[in-house]
Amino acid sequence: MNLSLKEPRISTLAIPAQDQVRTAQEVGCDMGLSEKIYRNAGLIFPLLATGGALTAAGFIDPYLAYVATSWVIFGLLGLSLDLVWGRGGLLSLGQTAFYGLGGYFGSIIAINMAPLTGNTLVWSLPAGAIFGAASAGALGSIIFLARMGPLQATILSYTFTLLLWSLTQSFKITIGHAVVGGDNGLSNIPGVVPGFGQGAESAGPVGVFVTVVIVSAAIYFLCWWLMRGTFGRVIDCIRIDPQKTELLGYDIRKYQVASFSLAGAIAGLAGAMFGAWANYLNPSIFSVQEALLVPIYVLVGGLGTLAGAFVGAFAIGGLSYYLGGGAVGGQTTLILGIVLILLVLFLKNGLVGAVGELWRRTLPDPNAAARDAGAVLIDPAVLEGILVEAEEQAGPAKRLATVDLYKHFGGVIPVNKVARTFEPGRPYSLIGPNGAGKSSYLKVCVGIYMPEAGSVTVGDVDATNAPIFERVRQGIGVKNQKPQIFGELTVDENLSIAAFARTRDRQAAADVSRRILAMLGFERQAKVQASALSHGQQQWLDIGMVLCLAPRVVLLDEPAAGMTNEETRELSSLVRTLARHTTVIVVEHDMEFVRTLEGHVTVLHQGQVFAEGDIAALRTDDRVLDIYLGRREHV
Amino acid sequence: MELDYLATVLLSSLSSASILLIATIGLAVVFGLMGVINLAHGEFLMIGGYAALTATRYGVPFIFAIPIAVLVTMAIGAAVEVLIIRRLYGRLFDTMLATWGLSIAFYQLAVMIFGTVTPGIGMPQYSLKIGNYSLAGYPLLMIGVAMLATLFVYVLMTHTVYGMKARAAIQMPEMARAIGIESYRVNTLTFAIGCGLAGFAGAVLLPIVPATPSMGFAFVIKAFLTVVVAGPVTLTGSALTAIGLGGGASMTASFMTSVAGDAFFFLITAFLLWLYPLGITARWRSKM
Repeated sequence: MNLSLKEPRISTLAIPAQDQVRTAQEVGCDMGLSEKIYRNAGLIFPLLATGGALTAAGFIDPYLAYVATSWVIFGLLGLSLDLVWGRGGLLSLGQTAFYGLGGYFGSIIAINMAPLTGNTLVWSLPAGAIFGAASAGALGSIIFLARMGPLQATILSYTFTLLLWSLTQSFKITIGHAVVGGDNGLSNIPGVVPGFGQGAESAGPVGVFVTVVIVSAAIYFLCWWLMRGTFGRVIDCIRIDPQKTELLGYDIRKYQVASFSLAGAIAGLAGAMFGAWANYLNPSIFSVQEALLVPIYVLVGGLGTLAGAFVGAFAIGGLSYYLGGGAVGGQTTLILGIVLILLVLFLKNGLVGAVGELWRRTLPDPNAAARDAGAVLIDPAVLEGILVEAEEQAGPAKRLATVDLYKHFGGVIPVNKVARTFEPGRPYSLIGPNGAGKSSYLKVCVGIYMPEAGSVTVGDVDATNAPIFERVRQGIGVKNQKPQIFGELTVDENLSIAAFARTRDRQAAADVSRRILAMLGFERQAKVQASALSHGQQQWLDIGMVLCLAPRVVLLDEPAAGMTNEETRELSSLVRTLARHTTVIVVEHDMEFVRTLEGHVTVLHQGQVFAEGDIAALRTDDRVLDIYLGRREHV
Repeated sequence: MELDYLATVLLSSLSSASILLIATIGLAVVFGLMGVINLAHGEFLMIGGYAALTATRYGVPFIFAIPIAVLVTMAIGAAVEVLIIRRLYGRLFDTMLATWGLSIAFYQLAVMIFGTVTPGIGMPQYSLKIGNYSLAGYPLLMIGVAMLATLFVYVLMTHTVYGMKARAAIQMPEMARAIGIESYRVNTLTFAIGCGLAGFAGAVLLPIVPATPSMGFAFVIKAFLTVVVAGPVTLTGSALTAIGLGGGASMTASFMTSVAGDAFFFLITAFLLWLYPLGITARWRSKM
């Protein structure tokens, strides 16, 4: 099922497209003011909003300040969902569970410990955040380490919330001075006390508002900074194509658990602030009505925009405030339910997303450069240099060996006891008619499919049961049949995220990706969204991403598909150069291309090695012609 | 432990597992044939319950009130499919959110129309005596009803033209359209059948679970978990998980406490999902 629901809607407001230093170097300073503001909108406008809120605090009605405080807290809760859903790609219906758990735990700690310091927030906020992070970490570990499907994950998070709702109704416990009384709730939660010492007093409504705004703004900017950096980029990649992200060597599960826990911490902290604001908590915090609001805030504001959650919370909160709260009577729930349906059906971008989209149209189209791309010309000397450097950093080429490798899908056996050893030196080609098991064989070598029997060895290390990312770290680099690129990211970002997987250093990754970019002749397309490239260009980009990994074994599945004749010739020279430094296996249907590789050719048929040799000998082999043309007994 | 006690526990656990299966089967049909999780399933069950209750109040015998409930929920289900679900095909999370909104709206509507407390209808007074224990007859009857419902869905899906079209439409949507199957109409009918089965559950369980606006909640948690644990082979998978999980939870509950039963259900579910992250039937070759 398709995970990435969100194609290019993820506004660039949230993903400032470039590292500013490199942008300045490469494109020169030809960016207009509007474009500069647009790229940093996620920083500028929230700063203005924070300033505005703090100024407004000086003169607004204390009651409005009191109510608006809750909107900020709900916005923070929405932010936690947007991290997980808008950026991470998993709809979690468990954010209010972490919110409630953080609220209860933070408040219990504050009730007991605050008398020591006077200040309440130093206890409640960290305690809420830690407890929220811990519970999200536990649930997230189950979901992500087991690699659960999206449906399973969403339902599990929802039932977690519902379970807490029913359990807390009757859950009674006394911890020190805190009395958790089932559906009577937890009362006497100390308010916001900003000062320290015995004489410190609770802040008034305006003081609470100011405190909450400052804390929330700090958390927002932390998230903004984190999500525009490499961590956020990897999270984006996981949302777009989890398999490709793992094929780059990222252990995606760690990133997923980390971002889920971060979101849990934010929700828990928001819960603790809510406890201090309301001075009272009860199990309704875990209710469906409460949980329903969170995706509404995010959708109203704009999915994946981070700041949108606050916009949504203010829009919904402000609307019901000016309608007079009670105007809709007791039917808030009914209206919210209908609002959610309408939002899902009609307003996909949300307010922030829609404004961002209108604004983007006024800017020059960065994808225009995709249209005037010339043919790719590989300079063998440059490639040689890249490969020699890769060899210095990543070690010598490794051999890839499979022993009696066996994989079946029901009655179909695409890989039937294949025993082959591939050595560096000259390229290997795998050919065979459709359904011969060529791609399946590569996929078992990489770990996309797990074999039922036999073994895969990379260098001297047995990798038969290793997950994909470990094999990639062992030195396998693979380009699958369909080009796998991160369409929402720019060409340059695609390459640098691949390079970062190996170098683990931003500067080094930028160097590597710039050299590969230059070698592919994509300099002018650096800022183009990868999805705007032609099929052949996407193939080159995918090959470039594989080269960024400095692989010791390279597997290419139909790399020439969609390329022009000139490009195919370039590809052939690239593969031959590559084979001098690494082990290279190419699956191809283009026999002319296979001939120019001048390598060893293996014919697969019905999952087994059928014939081997060089292309000239195989071309005269009647049995090979038989299976290709469907003649006689070998069919 | 005495034998008669054990037999009582076994029978009542089997009957609660059957009740769970009855409540789940509509959800399983919609999920299996449309790839959609209907988060408003519990509310369709509730609507079925109220429809049957209202019908009996107007003097319709209970046995005839059940088909009325089925028709009412099927009609509402068809409308929901045309108005909402159809516009969201292929958008899994959006479908869940929209049906979630629907669930809460239906709940609130029921509160407005019927209030939060409504009288139940009396349970038919049969009981079965085993040794020193006696079991109410109606819940035991549910074992048979669950078997019949499963059989009905199985036959519907494998031995009718509609069933074959529906399975074709989910397995190869483009191919199905290419050979002239109107997948939109098939999906509307599938969703309506799923909702009708929920309505059937609500009506047939009315003597056991009185109609209240929140009656759906009592079932949906377990029903959702049953379906996602079951995975892609929904009918067989749901029957197995309902009996295993529902029966296990019920037995845990009768030997310990009902909270322990719920905890058993959730923990075993999480454990099963840990072992089979895409459902226990993810690697089966059979498709029904």
